[in-house]
Amino acid sequence: MFFHIVLERNMQLHPRHFGRHLRDNLVSKLMKDVEGTCSGRHGFVVAITGIEDIGKGLIRDGTGFVTFPVKYQCVVCRPFKGEILEAVVTMVNKMGFFAEAGPVQIFVSNHLIPDDMEFQSGDTPNYTTSDGSVKIQKESEVRLKIIGTRVDATEIFCIGTIKDDFLGVINDPAGA
Amino acid sequence: MSRYEDDDSEPEEEEETVDEEEDEEKDLGRGRKRGRSQFIDDVAEEDEDEEDEEEADDDDEDFDGGGGRGGRRPPPKRRSGSQFFDLEAAVDSDEEEEEEDGEDDFINDAGAEIPDDDSRRMHRRPLLPREDDQEDVEALERSIQARYARSSHAEYDEETTEVEQQALLPSVRDPKLWIVKCAIGREREAAVCLMQKYIDKGSDLLIKSAIALDHLKNYIYVEADKEAHVREACKGLRNMYAQKITLVPIKEMSDVLSVESKAIDITRDTWVRLKIGKYKGDLAKVVDVDNVRQKVTVKLIPRIDLQALANKLEGKENKSKKAFVPPPRFMNVEEARELHIRVERRRDPMTGDYFESIEGMKFKDGFLFKTVSTKSISTQGVQPTFDELEKFRTPSENGDGDITSLTTLFANRKKGHFLKGDAVVVIKGELKNMKGTVEKVDEDKVYIKPKMDGLPILAVPEKELCKFFKEGNHVKVVSGAHEGATGTVVKVEGHVLIIVSDAAKEEIRVFADDVVESSEITSGITKLGDYELRDLVLLDNRSFGVIIRVESEAFQVLKGVPDRVEVLTVKLREIKCKLDRKQSIKDRFNNTVSVQDVVRILEGPCQGKQGPVEHIYRSILFIFDRHHLEHAGFICAKSESCVVVGGSRANGDRNGVSRFQQQTPTHMAALPARSSRGSRPPMQFGGRHGGGRGDDALVGSTIKIRKGAFKGYRGRVTGVKGQEVRIELESQMRVVTVRREDISDNVVVTTPYRDSSRYGFGSETPMHPSRTPLHPYMTPMRDSGATPHHDGMRTPMRDRAWNPYTPMTPARESWEDGNPGSWTSSPQYQPGSPPRRTYEAPTPGSGWASTPGGGYSDAGTPRDTPPAYANAPSPYLPSTPDQIMTPGSASYLPGTPGGQPMTPGTGGLDVMSPIGGESEGLGFMPDILVTVRKLGEGKVGVIQEVLSDGSCRVSMGTSGRGDTVVTVLPQDMDIVPPKKSDRIKIMGGVLRGFTGKLIGVDGTDGIVKVDSTLDVKILDLVMLAKLA
Repeated sequence: MFFHIVLERNMQLHPRHFGRHLRDNLVSKLMKDVEGTCSGRHGFVVAITGIEDIGKGLIRDGTGFVTFPVKYQCVVCRPFKGEILEAVVTMVNKMGFFAEAGPVQIFVSNHLIPDDMEFQSGDTPNYTTSDGSVKIQKESEVRLKIIGTRVDATEIFCIGTIKDDFLGVINDPAGA
Repeated sequence: MSRYEDDDSEPEEEEETVDEEEDEEKDLGRGRKRGRSQFIDDVAEEDEDEEDEEEADDDDEDFDGGGGRGGRRPPPKRRSGSQFFDLEAAVDSDEEEEEEDGEDDFINDAGAEIPDDDSRRMHRRPLLPREDDQEDVEALERSIQARYARSSHAEYDEETTEVEQQALLPSVRDPKLWIVKCAIGREREAAVCLMQKYIDKGSDLLIKSAIALDHLKNYIYVEADKEAHVREACKGLRNMYAQKITLVPIKEMSDVLSVESKAIDITRDTWVRLKIGKYKGDLAKVVDVDNVRQKVTVKLIPRIDLQALANKLEGKENKSKKAFVPPPRFMNVEEARELHIRVERRRDPMTGDYFESIEGMKFKDGFLFKTVSTKSISTQGVQPTFDELEKFRTPSENGDGDITSLTTLFANRKKGHFLKGDAVVVIKGELKNMKGTVEKVDEDKVYIKPKMDGLPILAVPEKELCKFFKEGNHVKVVSGAHEGATGTVVKVEGHVLIIVSDAAKEEIRVFADDVVESSEITSGITKLGDYELRDLVLLDNRSFGVIIRVESEAFQVLKGVPDRVEVLTVKLREIKCKLDRKQSIKDRFNNTVSVQDVVRILEGPCQGKQGPVEHIYRSILFIFDRHHLEHAGFICAKSESCVVVGGSRANGDRNGVSRFQQQTPTHMAALPARSSRGSRPPMQFGGRHGGGRGDDALVGSTIKIRKGAFKGYRGRVTGVKGQEVRIELESQMRVVTVRREDISDNVVVTTPYRDSSRYGFGSETPMHPSRTPLHPYMTPMRDSGATPHHDGMRTPMRDRAWNPYTPMTPARESWEDGNPGSWTSSPQYQPGSPPRRTYEAPTPGSGWASTPGGGYSDAGTPRDTPPAYANAPSPYLPSTPDQIMTPGSASYLPGTPGGQPMTPGTGGLDVMSPIGGESEGLGFMPDILVTVRKLGEGKVGVIQEVLSDGSCRVSMGTSGRGDTVVTVLPQDMDIVPPKKSDRIKIMGGVLRGFTGKLIGVDGTDGIVKVDSTLDVKILDLVMLAKLA
């Protein structure tokens, strides 16, 4: 789920960036530092949408670096248990498949794939129903439900299921 | 009492027969008897609590005094025997509890026979003693009645307090317990005999009770006030050796009888382990319990050596009498039958089940059903491992089946198993399947709050609860083989969870009981001894590997063997040392690879995988790919089969760098399936001329062996080392080494390059998915129709199917035949020159000899000097890639429309056929400008009409309105190449016949704006002719 929230961060800025463009430098550094990261609490920071406030800088003794407390608005993506997501399959193996929904990586174990789908190894490993009508392979788009999340300091990893009504392949590039 | 003395001799005889110490014993018995009477009269009366030794002393004295058998000492055996008794008694009774209580227990719990005995005795006791010895017996009776009244009161009174219980403990005034030796295995019988004797003799017998304990062999207990009473009672019983009677200390009396209650009763479906025999330590499941006979029928996995069994049945003696225990294996009846072992199918009369019976052993579903004594199985602390249980699970058993069997597991739970907040499910009783959360834990009661609303908090015995998890829960394994691992539950199968572990992303199966919910993330243990997960270690036998899993006592090591995966479980002591040398190594393209560089694997089972190098050792790379799910993400690969990602790949091959060269790496990447041999040629394609990696110019060339064992063979040079040349033979699938002077090197060295590059560039896509590139390669060729190319390529290739990478044969032949040296100067070079005629023959049958020449000239001529090939030293070489790259050009010039030929074969043909095919009137078209050479001066004319024989009517003059109209043979004409902004006509491809405007020239390509569609197309200049 995406949220637009305000976060705060202390930015250290090298003295060489001081000057007219201090603010720009600060913001670009912030973007570089923050965008794409993941915190267990808030999820993946997708984009910074604005700067709320830049506090007074504090010069660090000895180094000349200045620390600015920066409040910024950003869009974060945080997966939740029970959330339905649409994701693109990135890898298929006998244990299940991995899918990505933006920055979130989701693993769907073969126990959580409907029983009528069987793993087919080969050039493009895939899960196929017995009648061959539905196929999950790399690049397939699936709709899945998150049943568990594992939150690391730097990563959120999800376990998903497609063993439920209205879940499964929604667009198969190969089938099309 | 004195009565007994009279019939002295009778029991003596009895004793003699039984006793081992025969003649001695006779004397001794007499002496003892005497002593005994004395003893009974005075000594025993006085000190009841006397120690054995004192007794012995008394006896001794008796011997001396009474017996008059001067100097005859009692045999030392007796003394030691009594000591032994004392010890035994001490061992057997260590604790202290009341006798009465013990008796209650006894009545309630002990085996069927004894209570009978006891109760009957209890009934008769009041009846019988009245006859004689009134006072004595009545006193006794009173005391007994008093005692039993109390005890029965205690039995029914539920609110017995501890103090009351304490009051029931035996005191000095109560009868004593004596331990008497009896024949082994006759304990019960002895007790029954005593009972019988009591019935027969009534109050003559002054003992109170006799107890046979199942766990105590060779002894029974007799309750009596005096030792003499015991002796009296035992007299004449052949099962009992009354000479050894030991007093059980008061403190230990209660223990004698409370032991039985400690033994847990064995019920069906419990897991047990056998304690003795071939199956020692094996897990077994109880299927039937016979409490009376103390037998248990267990189901276990047979350890039967069928062959040995067959031998035995045939009467052959098994010579090797080694203590070899066959591994557990399910019995296969068919197999047994094959070995001519008689298998009967029998119906069990008790259960009605059918069993296969072999040699008196019963089998069912492959399991052995064995009846064993309860003493030979252990029920305590049985913790079946998962694997063991798996084996016992038959498909028919569903989830319920394992619940019952799991109950044994629960018996081994640690304290504090359930914690507040745990989700639990009731697995037994009326509340079965009710879910709830733990609120409070008391001893073995767990208070749970049911999930359903409106239910109060319930107290449930711990044994009836099981932890409960749902898919998606993040859990930690707290006991068992996977202890310490964490992961997410992906499946719940009864009480077994399947967890995807966090660390290795592998599936683990664990019991729900062994895990707790946790948000912690660990990979289990990561360190053991000095070694940690992911360390590279040297193993004992000079092999090495990286630790991919740390178990409680061992490591799993991915061995450093490329191309196949070898995982080893090693013990700590089997590891020699840790290897953390930082070294670097060369990859396939001679780039330096060091630790942490990202490499891609080009071949082998893990081709295409990519990741940072974690360890390097002896030219083996350990690569960590986080998408690789096995072996903790580690892949082991040879450095030669990897390429550094982002490194400069064409290190040694700069001289030959061309546009194609730059593409090489991508092709390489796309071609990981190729063996090193297969992918080398494209690399050398450029490098060859400049010496490349210092390889001989010979490398990659096709030569003929002139001398030696392989004389006459042809092959491709794969390497040169000093004076030795390694040659891969064409006709045999092998690489041989020959001396350099033994090969003929007048073969055209370039030949293979042409072809290998054709492969490398032209057709890389179809090649790599299949190991037999022939067919994929052929497919596009076929599309091009029956062309010389097609046939030329296909036929020889088939013959050399074994080596997909040397399909140069046809080409080489053509080169050789066509003598490249000559064709550079031959008119073939100019389009429209006569030799092309041969080629023009559209039939595949036309001689190959000229075909390539035509093909090359057509393709190559206009491109003689594209900048890209400036470096290429040989005139025909550039044509090679050109020709082949026709589709390639499409790929490197973005925006090239699909109208261009997509395959090399068609590419070549489309260019050529229109030009050369005038026999069908295809080559030239009306309205185009041509130079007519026949007239000598090379006049320009406009084709007015193409005649059916291929010649054209050409109107001389640029305008096409000249008066002179001549008929010219096609070979005498050349198309006038268009210049920028000229109006053109497209001579080939799908747009053949269309007119347009040449709006630009890029190398050998023309940018054309097609009139009819106004599309801008990029077409080969060769295909364009200037319009009049």
